[in-house]
Amino acid sequence: MRHTARPGTALAAGLAASVIAAVAPAGLAGGSVPVTSFAIWGTVLVCSVVVMRSSEGSLSPAIRRIVWLLVPVLLLGVTASLLVPRERRLAVGAALLLRSLASASAAIATVAALGPGGIIRGLRALKAPALLVDVLHAMLVALTAVARQIAAMQRSRSARRARSAPLAALVTSPVQSVTGFGRIAGALFLRSVERAEALERARRARGGGGA
Amino acid sequence: MHVPDGFLSGGVAALTWGAAAGSILAAIRRERRAEEPMPAGILGSVAAFLFAAQMINVPVAPGTSGHLVGATLAAVLLGPWRACLAMSAVLAVQALIFQDGGIAAYGANVLDMAVAGPFVGFAVASIAGRLVRGPRGAVVGGVLGGFAATVTGATLVAVWLGLSGLYPLGGILPVLVVSHVVIGLLEAALTGAILVTLLTWRPDLAAALAGPAARRPATMAAGVFGFAVALALIAGPWASTRPDGLQAAANTLGFADRARAAWPALAAMRDLPWARFVLGAPGMAGALGTGAAALLAWAISRSLAVPGDETHR
Repeated sequence: MRHTARPGTALAAGLAASVIAAVAPAGLAGGSVPVTSFAIWGTVLVCSVVVMRSSEGSLSPAIRRIVWLLVPVLLLGVTASLLVPRERRLAVGAALLLRSLASASAAIATVAALGPGGIIRGLRALKAPALLVDVLHAMLVALTAVARQIAAMQRSRSARRARSAPLAALVTSPVQSVTGFGRIAGALFLRSVERAEALERARRARGGGGA
Repeated sequence: MHVPDGFLSGGVAALTWGAAAGSILAAIRRERRAEEPMPAGILGSVAAFLFAAQMINVPVAPGTSGHLVGATLAAVLLGPWRACLAMSAVLAVQALIFQDGGIAAYGANVLDMAVAGPFVGFAVASIAGRLVRGPRGAVVGGVLGGFAATVTGATLVAVWLGLSGLYPLGGILPVLVVSHVVIGLLEAALTGAILVTLLTWRPDLAAALAGPAARRPATMAAGVFGFAVALALIAGPWASTRPDGLQAAANTLGFADRARAAWPALAAMRDLPWARFVLGAPGMAGALGTGAAALLAWAISRSLAVPGDETHR
């Protein structure tokens, strides 16, 4: 289902669902959590699950992303709910958790339905600023090349290393870690920019104009 | 520093979206009017690099890791407006495809990392670049700018969460600022280490610091103003025991009691003997962090060896 006929409409609907779920009142301003908020979060969650299932055939990739998201959500939500009066603590905590997960699920479902290419087409259909969409498009294309370069650099680095460096070495020798990261990231940046410059020169040589 | 969805109120989300949209449109307009616009392919490549660099986590303390944000690095290499565009693209992909940072919270994240980050970082880097000439100045500026941008971004996150009613500002600000002083030092060190590698091989890449943006008063003023506001918020608890503007307004309008009732933990905390120390912690951490960042800038810039440039050895 990565070839949605109306990517603009699908993207707008997904973003709207995510935003509506994200701003539904969660009782932080005092008083109880409105029943309509729970209805919105429940509806968004169920619709997102249905879309994810029909788009990807399985829920496991979406569940993996939601699990990754749970760490910051719990960190912010649990501590925030501890600050509200005891009698409302459970309701506000549950509301914050549901609100965040419902909103994220809507975004995950939108991506599952459209795919990165569909999002770019959707943004163009929604008349998002052309330069920003061009940069986004170029970024998504370049990400594949950058990921390949990182894999190649890691391969050559591990081939040169006598023994595998344990994670503890990063804590015990922070200076080497930071300078090593700087060299790798600097080399990665140079490769990315030089590749983009070469592509740009080739495009201009073929007669491509503008930015 | 990414704020996920579900933690900002509707008003704060709308306000930050509006301000972020205005900033992005201004950056686009500036890029369109530039004499030599940067091709979208190159901006996209830089954005892809920033995205990849943000995924590599470095341990900061036991159980805590941090990663490069790259706003100052991008600003030093591209200039603040192009850095704003590249960072906005990074944040959009993170929010849309990886759910790292929310969609309703996109505006807040853009203001923290794609607007305040590049402008504050660039302003500080430009000032440092005037004091220390040549490529070494770019490294010193990048290190100090990276630290200042991170602390400013953390301050803004605290402001958004406080305004949304999630936490009292006086409670969340110390927590975020103190933790981000450590992360800011990591950002500063990584920015410096990357700049050393880049300037060794391609000194032309840090041309933005010598460009017109570094001399434009409006750009500099925006960056310095942002950092000054952050400093005022951080140093606020040290400066005066009288109620701050928000508290004074709450007292005048008569909702101060209601606010205290909504946040009993903070109200109780103010009565504790160590509360003054906790509220003063951001100022102390900020001062210590700035000193550490200056030392870091000196140490990292000494490792820069530009061929044929003996003054930087």
